[in-house]
Amino acid sequence: MSSSAAAGFLNRGNSGNGSNMRGLVQFIADLRNARARELEEKRINKELANISLSGYHKKKYVCKLLYIYILGWNVDFGHLEAVNLISANKYSEKQIGYLAMTLFLHEQHELLHLVVNSIRKDLMDHNELFNCLALHAIANVGGREMGEALSGEVHRLLISPTSKAFVKKKAALTLLRLYRKHPDIVQPQWAERIISLMDDADMGVALSVTSLVTALAQDQPEQYKGSYVKAAARMKRILVDGEYAADYLYYKVPCPWIQVKLLRLLQYFPPSEDTHVRELIRESLQKILNLALEMPKNVQQNNAQNAVLFEAINLIIHLDTEQALMNQISTRLGKFIQSRETNVRYLGLEAMTHLAARAETLDPIKQHQSIIIGSLKDRDISVRRKGLDLLYSMCDQTNARPIVGELMIYLQNADFGIREEMVLKIAILTEKYATDVKWYVDISLRLIAMAGDHVSDEVWQRVIQIVTNNEELQVYAVQHILQYCKADHCHETLIKLGAYVLGEFGHLIADDRGGSPIEQFLALYNKLPGCSFGTRAMILSCYIKFVNLFPEIRPRLMYVFESYSYSLDSELQQRACEYLALARLPTDDLLRTVCDEMPPFPERQSALLSRLHQKHANTSDKRTWVVGGKDANANEKDFSLARNSGLKRAFSSTNGTMNGTNGGTDGHSNISNDLAGLNMNDAGPSEPKTLKAPNLASAAHLSPDWEIGYNKLLLKGEGILYEDGQIQIGVRSEYRGQMACVILYFANKAPTAVTSFTTTLDLEPAEKENLSWEVKGLPESTIHEGAQSQQMIMFQAKKVFGKSPTIRISYLAGALQALTLKIPVAIHKFMDPAELSAEDFFKRWKQIGGAPREAQSIFGAKGGKDGGREFTDSFIRNTVEGFRWGILDGVDPNKKNFVGASVLHTGEGGKFGCLMRLEPNYATQAIRLTIRATDDSVPPILIKLIEERLAVGVSTVPEPTEAPTYRDISDAFSNVLVT
Amino acid sequence: MINAVLVFNNAGQPRLTKFYTQLETSVQQRLISEIFTLVSHRPSGSCNFLPLPPLLASSSTSTVPSSEHNDVPSLVTYRHYATLYFIIISTSTESPLALIDLIQVYVEALDRLFENVCELDLIFNFETLHAALAEMIVGGVVVETQLERVVEGVKAQGRVAKRPVNEGRGGGLGMGMGMGMGGNFGWTGR
Repeated sequence: MSSSAAAGFLNRGNSGNGSNMRGLVQFIADLRNARARELEEKRINKELANISLSGYHKKKYVCKLLYIYILGWNVDFGHLEAVNLISANKYSEKQIGYLAMTLFLHEQHELLHLVVNSIRKDLMDHNELFNCLALHAIANVGGREMGEALSGEVHRLLISPTSKAFVKKKAALTLLRLYRKHPDIVQPQWAERIISLMDDADMGVALSVTSLVTALAQDQPEQYKGSYVKAAARMKRILVDGEYAADYLYYKVPCPWIQVKLLRLLQYFPPSEDTHVRELIRESLQKILNLALEMPKNVQQNNAQNAVLFEAINLIIHLDTEQALMNQISTRLGKFIQSRETNVRYLGLEAMTHLAARAETLDPIKQHQSIIIGSLKDRDISVRRKGLDLLYSMCDQTNARPIVGELMIYLQNADFGIREEMVLKIAILTEKYATDVKWYVDISLRLIAMAGDHVSDEVWQRVIQIVTNNEELQVYAVQHILQYCKADHCHETLIKLGAYVLGEFGHLIADDRGGSPIEQFLALYNKLPGCSFGTRAMILSCYIKFVNLFPEIRPRLMYVFESYSYSLDSELQQRACEYLALARLPTDDLLRTVCDEMPPFPERQSALLSRLHQKHANTSDKRTWVVGGKDANANEKDFSLARNSGLKRAFSSTNGTMNGTNGGTDGHSNISNDLAGLNMNDAGPSEPKTLKAPNLASAAHLSPDWEIGYNKLLLKGEGILYEDGQIQIGVRSEYRGQMACVILYFANKAPTAVTSFTTTLDLEPAEKENLSWEVKGLPESTIHEGAQSQQMIMFQAKKVFGKSPTIRISYLAGALQALTLKIPVAIHKFMDPAELSAEDFFKRWKQIGGAPREAQSIFGAKGGKDGGREFTDSFIRNTVEGFRWGILDGVDPNKKNFVGASVLHTGEGGKFGCLMRLEPNYATQAIRLTIRATDDSVPPILIKLIEERLAVGVSTVPEPTEAPTYRDISDAFSNVLVT
Repeated sequence: MINAVLVFNNAGQPRLTKFYTQLETSVQQRLISEIFTLVSHRPSGSCNFLPLPPLLASSSTSTVPSSEHNDVPSLVTYRHYATLYFIIISTSTESPLALIDLIQVYVEALDRLFENVCELDLIFNFETLHAALAEMIVGGVVVETQLERVVEGVKAQGRVAKRPVNEGRGGGLGMGMGMGMGGNFGWTGR
């Protein structure tokens, strides 16, 4: 291989300067041949001395620097040369310049000021390769300053219809980098446009944009909620419809990366309430599970398939509503953790830990308890760690003892790397699930005795806190600690614990055999010489408490203080002197006050948990769950854990302050600090988020001319809602009782296909409980020229509602086009005309009576007679009938008056009877309208709707085309309308 | 996100170091040697995942958590081919198996670019190595995974020079390091 490569060397070198680069080759070869670091250094220094820029080619020089850098040497002096190369015109030189810049410089580097303009020039260049180099540079070293200067250009490259796919995808991730550095850079109004790019036909662009959206959606879920439906629909198109570019098939799996990204994006949102979207997701997930049933022989295919599968499992656990899928995965996971493939075992355990973090019941996991415990003996430390996480998470009252027992056994042989974490976890479990005080004390002390050096301060301090706060624990604890302290080999941590506990509670066992004051004294005294200064200080503090508790051994205690009053350590000396003085006071009043029993610690979050979770906070993407069972995930926001410990506090918590004598040493002051509950790191970025984005789908953002179609369709079941040069939107609707079926037809009139076609429904939050809907399907994402797509929506009037829902329609036709329209669904559409005899009508009219169940209004045509609008008999009749009143002819004595009756259907409110009386005065062009209904919520809404419509009146000159005829509509929708 | 991509050989010599979060050069070197020690001592048949050694984690476990919005890497995903280790350091929010696939695509892309890639190609053509990586990862996020497009993207930037391996005397020593990735992309130990 080598000789053939050598033969082709001269031909393959970069043309033009191929021979120039030979010096580089020689240089690299020399370095490779250097047997020792010293020789390498010598050669590098020689080269550095050799370099004189006038003679040497800059590119080669920078290349050499790069190689030196890769070997781990510092090349600060060459940075300026690298930066200069960026502004070169030749691509190969520019490329090396950018490469060097991204490797050498970091975001705070001062030289970056110099390159901003060169980068901007390259971003605006027509050469896409230059664009890419510049984007890549920003993505590597871009900070706040660069972001402010260049984010506009990056965004332009991302959304410009003329950008090539390979530029777009890099622009997306460059924007992501800038966003992470400085969230304000991404402006709220970009959201819709960015989301629409998730539909890009190029999988690379879709992948990058999905990454970008995932990051944005974590911080502004409301603004990016449109991405949820997009992700669900794209998933389904890839998996179920097989819609993907064939070259993205990776070992027979269609682009596993994008699948993983989409699945992950879905986990950042709460499960959708829309049944159709849920169905889309369910279908995709089931497909993934089915595909994974066959175990391919090919390692790569297996790997890719599993990557998707495990992410799908995470999503299923997140959704937590798909019982059928949930059952499938819990059996599946049981097999995974016994798999022969180490990777699968590892990921199986991780997924199960996720399951334990979310599932209602731990039973499916407990079935596998013995296998999981077995994983602690796995050959691979990574698997052992995951096993530990899972055991920790699956622990509850019933299995705490066996699990803690196993963990204790394993702790003895565990790797040093994970002992500290194990100790923490055992300590937490012991405290959390202790039902028996003896068990708690036994395990805690054994743990400290066994793990010794791996016990972090929080662990033994927490034991003190618990013992102090639980009276029933104290005697047992002090007995056992004394036993440990008497032993020949006793870890220093236990001595610290002993010094504190004996000092506080030693008197409780003073009458026991083996617990006499002198024995307590000796137990600690024997350990004194071997301890660190901090521990000795604690023992001295314990002894001053003994002076108070056990006057009988006072001389020996005084002797200790005296000898330590000459200690070389200033802290110990000071303590000994102070204690001596305190003990020698003529009265022991002060001593007694100082050594009074410690008040219980105020209840706080366990320092242990804070400690454990420090490690998890602050990642770029937020985790959607944490290790540690359901209650650990109950409040995801602040990761707060297990407030109610298994041990009941014997004392009510009072805000006790630390006793003065105990301050001073490291050991003691740490107690007050650490137990005060360490501040948890906030998982999210600390910067306040950008302004709240407008909800573009809401009625506040209606597009111009929305009312033309809406007004017409208020009185009709079908017709054209909106039309412009590019798109025509038609509506067909049918009402039955409180249910309405509305079908929207979208026809593309533009000369090219439109893509990323998206619809979003919205309604004022206050109205949502009155009118609900269910989307039965989504329109096609791509509508070809001349083609049509449709969407069916079922509405249900639950109660009387006053506002119509709105729909946001957006699509890409080159640039992003968007419309917001009102859907002609109003309360009167749910009315059925009724027939009543004159007698019945007036009987009911009287029964209902006046206000509040009556509304009345007197109005004229808008603009009056001079405005060219008037009321006519036929206009009023048509309009009233359009509002679905059954006109009762001959009921009113005055023939000019209209009287109508109807029944309004609602889901939750039931049926309402509605009566109407309309008295026109054609001479003055005024109308008096009175509506009565069986519920006082109905008349005001109805009268407003009808008045608005009637007040428009009819033109005094006949209008040639009033509305499209049935024929017009059927022409427009000939291919979908069934006549 | 992906915090770093590293390639080193069986002797622990770095062949590619690319960090997406900034680190001191000296810390980088220490990290590489720490990871090398960890990875090279793993028995065959172990899984491809490791928690990050405490070197980087140390900054995050200090009692005063930095208020800055830090990307804390926590996962090492690695793959071993004949003489080379490919390492990705990432946060725990990346899918580990997808990272393994990413390494595979990267290696396949290099194999295409160099026609039977060997370690020496990586040594003498580090800029191509970086170019290929730049086609796949931008700012720590995966941008492209389709083999053909990665290869096309690199080739579009100029011809890939297959720089020579005529190292004279050193030839005998370095030559045997072919990665053996031509036809058999076997994982070692599997």
